[in-house]
Amino acid sequence: MDEAANDLKLALQNDCESLPIDIEVHQKSNSTAKKEDVKSSVLKLLNRHNVIFGDYKWTEFDDHFLTNNVQSIAIVDTELKLKERQPISLHKCSLSIRIFHLNEEGPSTENLEAEDEDIVAANHWVLPTVEFHGLWDSLIYDAEVKSNLLDYVTTTLLFSDKNVDSNLISWNRVVLLHGPPGTGKTSLCKALAQKLTIRLSHRYLYGQLVEINSHSLFSKWFSESGKLVTKMFQKIQALIDDKDALVFVLIDEVESLTAARSAVRAGTEPSDAIRVVNAVLTQIDQIKRYPNVVILTTSNITEKIDMAFVDRADIKQYIGPPSAAAIFKIYLSCLEELMKCQIIYPRQQLLTLRELEMIGYLENDVSKLSLILKAISRKSEGLSGRVLRKLPFLAHALYIQSPNVTMTTFLQALSLVVDKQFEERAKLANSV
Amino acid sequence: MAAAAATQGKGAGLGGGAEGREGPGVAVAVSAGPAWAVSVAFPGSVTQEGCFRFTCEFLKHVLYQRQQLPLPYEQLAFFYRRQPPRAPGQANGDEEVVRKVHVKDQDCSQKCQQVLSDLEGVFKHLETMFTLTLVPCVLILLGGTSVSPKEFYEINLQGVSVRGAEDSLQTAACIRKLFHSLFLADVFSELQTGPTMGVTVMVQGHRNCGVDWFKPKLNYKVPTRGRKLTVNVSCSHHTSTGLSDYQEMNSAWDDYIWFQAPVTVKGFRYFSS
Repeated sequence: MDEAANDLKLALQNDCESLPIDIEVHQKSNSTAKKEDVKSSVLKLLNRHNVIFGDYKWTEFDDHFLTNNVQSIAIVDTELKLKERQPISLHKCSLSIRIFHLNEEGPSTENLEAEDEDIVAANHWVLPTVEFHGLWDSLIYDAEVKSNLLDYVTTTLLFSDKNVDSNLISWNRVVLLHGPPGTGKTSLCKALAQKLTIRLSHRYLYGQLVEINSHSLFSKWFSESGKLVTKMFQKIQALIDDKDALVFVLIDEVESLTAARSAVRAGTEPSDAIRVVNAVLTQIDQIKRYPNVVILTTSNITEKIDMAFVDRADIKQYIGPPSAAAIFKIYLSCLEELMKCQIIYPRQQLLTLRELEMIGYLENDVSKLSLILKAISRKSEGLSGRVLRKLPFLAHALYIQSPNVTMTTFLQALSLVVDKQFEERAKLANSV
Repeated sequence: MAAAAATQGKGAGLGGGAEGREGPGVAVAVSAGPAWAVSVAFPGSVTQEGCFRFTCEFLKHVLYQRQQLPLPYEQLAFFYRRQPPRAPGQANGDEEVVRKVHVKDQDCSQKCQQVLSDLEGVFKHLETMFTLTLVPCVLILLGGTSVSPKEFYEINLQGVSVRGAEDSLQTAACIRKLFHSLFLADVFSELQTGPTMGVTVMVQGHRNCGVDWFKPKLNYKVPTRGRKLTVNVSCSHHTSTGLSDYQEMNSAWDDYIWFQAPVTVKGFRYFSS
């Protein structure tokens, strides 16, 4: 007991000092309150709750002003910085409060008018948008993927701010995420864009995310594809010229735009495709001079990508399938949601992995269900995030079919569906 | 009347890349897109309701002139109200030819109904907005996103002096004058036919005006890119409460914020592929 108390003291003394804490305040869409007023109310609230344990989100307030104007106040991403859950004293930390409104309109499309045909070449979002709200939190990775990406962009901006000579130290503002399908690469890009827009809201009024449809940049006319790429980047250039906007360019499945030029020698790639690669490379070199742009790319097949492009990517992050621990977290968030919607009823308290570890995986009434879930998580290793997120749905559809169900029954169904998933996979592999 | 003749400035000083006329050493506000301005001065005060009517008529005009509506708004509304589209089952023994056209018509009329009802909503709520607050400025955005539209139209009402109906000019006369100036300036004829686009309306109003249909956009600022047309509406007699006076009386300028209409009106055409 004494030891625990000592640990606590140590934690309080060491880590928290001047730890930067980000607080995201989601202002209601119909609220017209001034930022300063919201900020002072939020500070008042935080004064009353000055010690927190990890991330926390307030959605109900006793303050009338906050109830009218604020959807939620969330202390975020402390878990990315601190390995362990520990009390954080807000007095000692440097707080940065970000107040944001979500944009409700969907993406608009960017057309390239080429030879009488209108091709939708890009989707275009104004950030932060409702569509990506909560996406960041739903993405669960083991390693410090998320904090690495955040730190990378922070450094990028710092270097731009301090006017570091980019001829001496060069950085390209290109992030390449690669890994097997369904691991959330594209989602992570979108979530990162949303996150950074909120994080940097003191410097940029809004963010813009341009998602390029790579395939639409190939023309049916020989030699026109390279020009289409240039046209596309000209449009992006126009967005970058707005100094109040932080622009994210998302190129999904980048291998289709930057297919290895070496393959041409083997005669498997038409020469028009080389022009595309060349155009992309030169255009990236063009826009990297601007401080307010980040290029996010994803790929499944890295070996197909041109070396010159891989070279330009500052961060080449591998995103693998989730580990058992991450799977546990994913399941936990799924079950939480189902309990919230009362599909799983009555409500059961589930322990997190850390809590399980603290009680030494001892089986008792409280931990029983959590231990079953842990076993299922271990069994599910090897499945991708995309599959995992749909398993609770499949479990319900295949084995339950009733409007509400107890946690025990649901976990049984979940276990069955995981087995089925592996069976299906084996069958597919055999038939090929 | 002659004293208050409209002044038109075309390509007024804002030489963008398209014109490229800015001489060396001349301090001009550099705009990224080409910009035009039309100024209209009324010889007296107008009503708040009048301001709403200017906005409304101008919006209808822009929609038709920029080919987002196949017919002027009034005509379109007239046709579709008088002849509600027939249900498919009701095709009472028409010839085959007629029925074939009909399928395409159906699709078209649905789009048209949608546009009309969207616009009706915008007009209705604009009217409410004008009764709740002074409106210094209205933006009509075409295409792209709200922060980077393809082209946009600004109605600047800051110079207007507002009075009650009995002390004001006739609204109908003012609208005639507004359109007279627009036609003289001839701003729409040179533009190329664009694709159908989404149309968004932004209205500036007081922070505490209590409007709930329009969504506040606290961070919004008037775009700098895209083709821009400004219509400056003003009153030549500054005798009564103008918007500028109001600002001093009421509150600071920064209490006027932008509101965005929550619907995007999708332009449409007949027989578009």
